[in-house]
Amino acid sequence: MTQPQDLPKDAAHRLEELEHGLFTSDLSVNEFLLVKEAGFHPLGFVMGSSIYHIGLQTRKWGESQELTKLTEAMYTARELAMNRMEEEATELGADGVVGVRLDVNYYEWGNDSAEFIAFGTAVKAEDGNSYRNAQGKPFTSDLSGQDFWTLMQTGHVPQGLVMGTCVYHIAHRKLTQALGSVGQNVELPNFTQALYEARELAMTRMQDEAGQLKASGIVGVRLEEKSHQWGSHTIEFLALGTAVTKTTGEVTLPKPITIISLDN
Amino acid sequence: MSDSSLEIPEAAVRRLESSAFSSGLTVPDFAACLDLGLQPVGLVQGFCVMRWGWYGAGSGYMRGINPYAPGPQNNGGYAETYRCPHGFVSNEHRMWGQNVEQTWVEEAWSEGYGSAYRRMLDEAVSLGAHGVIGVTDRINPLADTGTTEFHFLGTAVKVEEGPPPAGGVPWTTYLAGQRLTKSIEAGFMPVAVVATMASVRVWAYCMTEYLMEGSRGWGGPTSPYEVEQVSKAHMAVRQLARKQVRQQLSGDTLHGARIEVVNRELSQGDEVIDCTLRGNRMRRFKDFDDVPPPRPTVRLT
Amino acid sequence: MSASGAIDARAEMLSGAKSLAVAPPPSRARGVTSDLSIDEALLLHGAGWEPVDLVCGVSVVSVPVGVWNWGQGEITVASVAHNAAVKGASDQLRDECIKVHGHGVVGVRVEVEVRTHHIDVELVGTAVRPIDAKNLPASPFVSDLSARDFTLLKGAGWLPVGLAFGASFAYAPRRSAGDVMKQKTQNIELTNFTEAMYSARESAMERMQRSALDVGGQGVVQVKVTEGPMHFARHAVGFTAWGTAVRLVADSHQFVQPQVILPLDDAVVTFEAQSLRST
Repeated sequence: MTQPQDLPKDAAHRLEELEHGLFTSDLSVNEFLLVKEAGFHPLGFVMGSSIYHIGLQTRKWGESQELTKLTEAMYTARELAMNRMEEEATELGADGVVGVRLDVNYYEWGNDSAEFIAFGTAVKAEDGNSYRNAQGKPFTSDLSGQDFWTLMQTGHVPQGLVMGTCVYHIAHRKLTQALGSVGQNVELPNFTQALYEARELAMTRMQDEAGQLKASGIVGVRLEEKSHQWGSHTIEFLALGTAVTKTTGEVTLPKPITIISLDN
Repeated sequence: MSDSSLEIPEAAVRRLESSAFSSGLTVPDFAACLDLGLQPVGLVQGFCVMRWGWYGAGSGYMRGINPYAPGPQNNGGYAETYRCPHGFVSNEHRMWGQNVEQTWVEEAWSEGYGSAYRRMLDEAVSLGAHGVIGVTDRINPLADTGTTEFHFLGTAVKVEEGPPPAGGVPWTTYLAGQRLTKSIEAGFMPVAVVATMASVRVWAYCMTEYLMEGSRGWGGPTSPYEVEQVSKAHMAVRQLARKQVRQQLSGDTLHGARIEVVNRELSQGDEVIDCTLRGNRMRRFKDFDDVPPPRPTVRLT
Repeated sequence: MSASGAIDARAEMLSGAKSLAVAPPPSRARGVTSDLSIDEALLLHGAGWEPVDLVCGVSVVSVPVGVWNWGQGEITVASVAHNAAVKGASDQLRDECIKVHGHGVVGVRVEVEVRTHHIDVELVGTAVRPIDAKNLPASPFVSDLSARDFTLLKGAGWLPVGLAFGASFAYAPRRSAGDVMKQKTQNIELTNFTEAMYSARESAMERMQRSALDVGGQGVVQVKVTEGPMHFARHAVGFTAWGTAVRLVADSHQFVQPQVILPLDDAVVTFEAQSLRST
């Protein structure tokens, strides 16, 4: 884990203004109303960013393998951005951040570098209890306002956005050799094995993070696969989800009305 | 000059005479239409190609409008003059400028739109229709030649057991399906689709030319500065379009209005700004009943 | 209307058709133009408000030559120009709203174009007011909330007070050739880049906050952040933050108590059978 760095002075100034009572949020009106309904109040739009240079990594073209240096870079860069966002939330006295989005921007003047940004809305409970996570930090979650409300109704509380990443090099040459046997239905074991392993690595790492937060489960898991700017031989597998724990409160989700909607 | 008494093409006559109807409605729209007691009677269309002069033959400028002299000369349309503050005379320095409403362009556009619309209505009348729903209007300028085609398409309908509209002129609307049902239930009856176009030409004077090219000229301000002539032209074109539409409404309401503005920058700060405004003209036929406040829901998908 | 309270669509259509069978008396009333859909107009009416007219505001502000050339830090001239253009357009919009006796403008559509020598801002929205309103407010509000969101918020005890907006432009910092070589194989954060972009973004957000406070807002909802390099100058990056400033006007927030529903749809079924008021 990297150490959080100081926030730029513009950020400090902006957050101070928010502490005087003004709130900002990127929640839609629907989400705003549901967050209030869940017993929370938005404090402010928070964000963190980091422009990270991703070092070159040598690789053996004929073998499928994880590119550990790239994995580490993608992970560290996102962590830096998330930590800064959490710092802003902590500064505001928040219990957590909802609607977190992680974006990657490429600028033309930044060869081999990219900007990693994390955005969200910091919220605070109105009943005075603390909802910070097992590490004493505001929880982060990529749940929308609607999902946040629904989750709270089921008696669960978010602990943190957890992620696992793995940058994998796929040896395409082996693949084209295998295609020599074209015309037959055949599984490509090496290829399958490589992709399987990569996804598992990403998901296991994500689960480890949830373990560190002492969570009882992960909801809303998403697996994203991107080549970013490395060409088709290299793919980053990113697993993201929100770790949750059960509260001692009772389940208050009212019995839903079932409807059959006859529209498209 | 165009002529709306142009005969319906022979192929159209044959198509319209056949007893099977074709309609441009999707299945859900078709079902909603039957639900309202509307019987589709056929697909109808109207088409027209118009040409007008921007600058050369047929344009107001050839008829003697001089943008470099003060005073409105375009049949009393909008015009606003700008005069150079520098007091410096030279061939390069544009001492006068004017925003001019290009009324001849607007008239030609209206004529084209009107002809295409009337031809669609003629086809509908020949089918004995009361109205046309699901109208789509495609207005396509062809290259930059000042030629534009207007194409209307809609589904002609009859109101079951209903009276024909006054004067035998079918009512028309862009709406169809659920959206049409909702407006009827809310007490709004479609009257016609309306559209209008306003066009303003900016003949830049020295200050505008300099500002649009990022220089200050000499003697001008050095901080970012509102380009008043261009801003005014933009505001004027939108105001003109709305005023024109209101003249077509006679007290009815225009729902679902859409404003589209296209501007073409020419050289030296000159530009042409066209603003099209369209919508559904509707008339209230009963008072607003109180709609019970809708219930907010959260979906568990 | 049948006994159950549901509407008979056919009967309504017949009614409508009959109303057009007679030519109406000439009317000197000023027709209402609005870009609201029927749903929105009805929701608005349910909340006791009505649309008045379509209103616009446009402003074109010039940007001097040389502003985009590579420099350091914030491109102040561009930020000031952008701000002036938005303010100019909002003022026009507000003036038009006052002229038609509106209390505020909803559903404002914002279009901003940043060009090499000028920044153009166009705003279009629908002016609205409480039905049969007699007095005009001191200053009408401008908001990019849709009419639907406006009625939802109003039901919860909040009202929009204005558009909150902030922008900042910055130059991307340069890297020396020596730095580039040194950093080639390392995974490393580019701290001065981070600082420059981070600062510019925070600056835009701070200006948005300040503009919300200036109109008397207690909060900003629906914040949208845009960012990107200029097409004509890729080393210059612009950040904008937009939102609607809101204020609690009721004594306290009114909870909505939503109903949870569980739809059992699988495939798309193509027939719409919902009437506006059927239960």
